[in-house]
Amino acid sequence: MTGPKRSRLAPWLLLTPAQILAVVFFGVPALYMARMSVNAHAPQSYFTPGFTFENYARLTHDPVIAGAIWNTIWLALIGSAVTIVLAYGFALIVWLKPARWRLWFIGLALLPLLISEIAIIFGWWMVFPRNGLLSVALMSSGLITDKISLTYTEGAALVGQVYITLPYCFFILLSVFDGLDRRVLEAALDLSAPPLTTLYEVLLPQTRAGLLAAFAQAFIWTMGTYATPMALGPDTLWTLGFLIQAQMLGKHHWPMAAALSMVLVVGVALVVLLTRWLQLQQRSFHV
Amino acid sequence: MPQTALDLDHICRNYGPVVAVDDVSLTVAKGEFVTLLGPSGAGKTSTLRLIGGFESIDSGAIGLNGGRVDHLPPYLRDTATIFQSGALFPHKTVAENVAFGLRMRRIAKADIAVRVAEALAVVRLQGLEDRYPDQLSGGQKQRVALARSMAVRPAILLFDEPLSALDLSLRLQLRSEIKRLHDEIGFSAIYVTHDQGEAMAMSDRVAVMRSGKIEQTDCPETVFNAAANEFIHTFVGETCCLTFRIEGGRGVDPATGTLDLHLAQPLPDGAYRLYLRPSQPSLGQAAQAMPNRVIARLGFVAFLGEKYRHHLMAGPCEIVGDQPGALTAESGADALIGWDSSAMRIFQ
Repeated sequence: MTGPKRSRLAPWLLLTPAQILAVVFFGVPALYMARMSVNAHAPQSYFTPGFTFENYARLTHDPVIAGAIWNTIWLALIGSAVTIVLAYGFALIVWLKPARWRLWFIGLALLPLLISEIAIIFGWWMVFPRNGLLSVALMSSGLITDKISLTYTEGAALVGQVYITLPYCFFILLSVFDGLDRRVLEAALDLSAPPLTTLYEVLLPQTRAGLLAAFAQAFIWTMGTYATPMALGPDTLWTLGFLIQAQMLGKHHWPMAAALSMVLVVGVALVVLLTRWLQLQQRSFHV
Repeated sequence: MPQTALDLDHICRNYGPVVAVDDVSLTVAKGEFVTLLGPSGAGKTSTLRLIGGFESIDSGAIGLNGGRVDHLPPYLRDTATIFQSGALFPHKTVAENVAFGLRMRRIAKADIAVRVAEALAVVRLQGLEDRYPDQLSGGQKQRVALARSMAVRPAILLFDEPLSALDLSLRLQLRSEIKRLHDEIGFSAIYVTHDQGEAMAMSDRVAVMRSGKIEQTDCPETVFNAAANEFIHTFVGETCCLTFRIEGGRGVDPATGTLDLHLAQPLPDGAYRLYLRPSQPSLGQAAQAMPNRVIARLGFVAFLGEKYRHHLMAGPCEIVGDQPGALTAESGADALIGWDSSAMRIFQ
């Protein structure tokens, strides 16, 4: 019988269209970028064909670039951590609430996805300044006595990042919660576990893989964005995305932009591999 | 001295305009096994969830071992529920599942080990301590759920249709096992089911629910033989129904005109329904000696193993009669049905 042989081949055959797409639209450009990153650069040209590791050497000893890498990682780490905490709480509430509320919550979570990042930035510009919505709202509620401005602060950049990644993480986590049996939570409460213990002992272990996926999603996204931190953060908050843009469009230094992009690609790949490995650590009870 | 494990005092619960639990009062003595029996939507599970604390009551009071608990969250109530789905913790082993409630109740570690082993022995699952729930069969999962709940020795065990997701043979096996455990250990329990066979087989008392109300609470024999109303009589056990009229003190069957009825006490004129259990009617020759008789047309005969089930039509009414042997009459032939006066229940 040809059964066993066919069944081993079948998954690969089924994956082929997706793999072709991935190779054509991701693999080829990535290779092209890798090649570009070792080209040389001369003034008045985008790049000079050649082979040099000079661009990579600059990554390590140029304090601006080292600082940008550091900024990017920190922003992405803190932003993703804040995002998954908020998304987890939001998804948990939607999961626990009666079904009739669900559509409204999902609509609410979808709204930011319908607006372009640039329009959202303009929105924040109306919220953060001294005479912005936030300042006025806090003043009129009596929480502060002097007007405050959050524009061009790291906090504003962080809020902007979180706002963008929150919906994605929310939907990832909601789908994870939907796969759980709500009675299991009740069983824990029923067996004398208070709510926080239930969260820690029962809910978190069962949603760990989803949390990691959501974290990876948020991290990848925030590593790459440059418009939001640039527009909302301080002038000194240079991120990798911003530097790539500046090298590419400002200084017309394509090899340097490519080298910086390779840092992003490798960094993101490392994070994806790490979360994947962590997810596999707890597969035993899913078999 | 019998003590009360659970005391429901006129509890009510509405969901918007829907009255899920309507003025339910019930006491469960220590060691008593009480079943809430009723069709789906009768409020059985809602009542159970109110006791467990997963929903809150609108009015009334819930007492557990003499103390009032209706204001307490589930984790402070001394109840343990066995859910229909089992609701085992999928990321914990069998032993960890059973130990969970004991850990939460801050039992000493050494005692936990002893009680986990005890509980698993009681449900006959020794050797499966290190399995995960998805490595167990449906019946084993429910045994673990049972062990997990019993291990904490709650004031009352709450069974929420724990067997309804299992296939028939397993259901019968676990049913008798729960009964055996109750006889051995003597826990107090409320058992929710829509399966009247389960209710009869296991319970000390059965509370029949409909539309959020308890309609009768009695021992299984009384509920079966002396149902408080027509709904309970037809819901508990199989029945077939013969419609007839009383005219001038005599029973008249307008469809066949052959009804011969001997009433113990006279009934006023009007329309009535007469109920017989399949085991009660005598058919053919044997029916001649019975005080009550009607002639019906034989439909078909089904062989059920230890008996033959006869389906007969008395006008529009189907009468079902079980006999150890099949009638020899052809299908479509007239057959006499007779029954004892004590066998029938009549409702207006």
